[in-house]
Amino acid sequence: MNDAVRQREALKDDIVRLASGDRSALESIYQATSAKLFGICLRILGNRDEAEDALQDVYVSLWRSAGRYDPERASPITWLATFARNRAIDRLRSGKVQRGAVPVDEAAEIEDTAPLADELVETGQRNARIHHCLRELEEKTQDSIRTAFFHGKTYAELAEAKGVPLGTMKSWVRRGLAKLKRCLEK
Amino acid sequence: MTAPELTERERLAAEHALRLLEGEELVMARGLAASDPDFAREVSDWEERLAPLQDELSGVQPGADLWDRIQARLDGGTPVAEVTALRRRVRQWQVASLVSAAAAIALAFLTIPAMQQSPAEPQPEAPLMANIPIGDTSLRLAVTYLPDRSEMLVSASGLTADGVHDHELWLVPPQGELRSLGVVKPGEEVRMPLDPDLASLIHDGSQMVLTREPLGGKPADEVAGPVVAEGAFSLI
Repeated sequence: MNDAVRQREALKDDIVRLASGDRSALESIYQATSAKLFGICLRILGNRDEAEDALQDVYVSLWRSAGRYDPERASPITWLATFARNRAIDRLRSGKVQRGAVPVDEAAEIEDTAPLADELVETGQRNARIHHCLRELEEKTQDSIRTAFFHGKTYAELAEAKGVPLGTMKSWVRRGLAKLKRCLEK
Repeated sequence: MTAPELTERERLAAEHALRLLEGEELVMARGLAASDPDFAREVSDWEERLAPLQDELSGVQPGADLWDRIQARLDGGTPVAEVTALRRRVRQWQVASLVSAAAAIALAFLTIPAMQQSPAEPQPEAPLMANIPIGDTSLRLAVTYLPDRSEMLVSASGLTADGVHDHELWLVPPQGELRSLGVVKPGEEVRMPLDPDLASLIHDGSQMVLTREPLGGKPADEVAGPVVAEGAFSLI
């Protein structure tokens, strides 16, 4: 069993332990995942204070939501990454965040940083098909889907950012999603 | 080369997983995700397909004291944020209730001459209110029932018409089939008369659901569409 697999299994066990009410499991989950999940929140919220508040929400609500994790179905880090992304986007859209009040420099900065080699959680999914399939799309489509995914933008926000009509943006993305699905199912 | 189109549901699931949607489409997706396990599964499939993209992102260390802050919140029992969120919800509800109550009062005022004609009538019962959140959006459907007039006021000012669907409001009686309360008009506040038989089923605590239907409401020979929201009447 290599390290990545061992870490994944340990994380899985911790989530299951947390779901059964063992709060001490939360600390090991935090140690193993907080840098990754903070990176996700920071990219969406664009400012450290907001991202830290979102990250707090993530772990506090994880304490109550761990039971929803199905170890048979999803990799633990995939599930946690989705959980964190959704929480951060909820926060972004709840109006708590002053949009544009803080320059997105911090978020832009991390975009160019190479992944840390000694990242505690190695997700082992760098070869996942999604990377390949996304690259197959037209550049503007690829770019729109990435921006939606990493920055939590809606159709309307994407259209505005790109300076195209809403309908155009929708048709780019929809075409892209159809192609993505076909490619992923190959 | 053209990609085969996704079905409308497949597409909606992908868009919902990406969190692209707003307004009416978001309401629809949230309603489906809550009421249809297949759709919910499709959404989480997309989330799992997309999640490995996060590998491109490097980790960033949060502040050193963050873990202590999380622990403090867990030790403090109910997390502060939850209390705040609850208070905010109560406040929104109160504001919305006031607006609807004001509308009900205005309506009653307009109809005073009618009431004066029947002074022997028993004291009107207190109106019942329902403030129905649509999915997790900030949109709300405000329903006020005026027992003395067997009438409802339905305010759907937050909803927008998509041109291909209508929403129908249903009463869920303790027993038996759902009873239609009528089709909701997006963006409008409307008065709906109720027949006395139907009105007699409405009490404090009565449940309602809102379903998505073809224009004009549920066709008589078809099953109702997906539930997109639910709520209950209570005394103001």
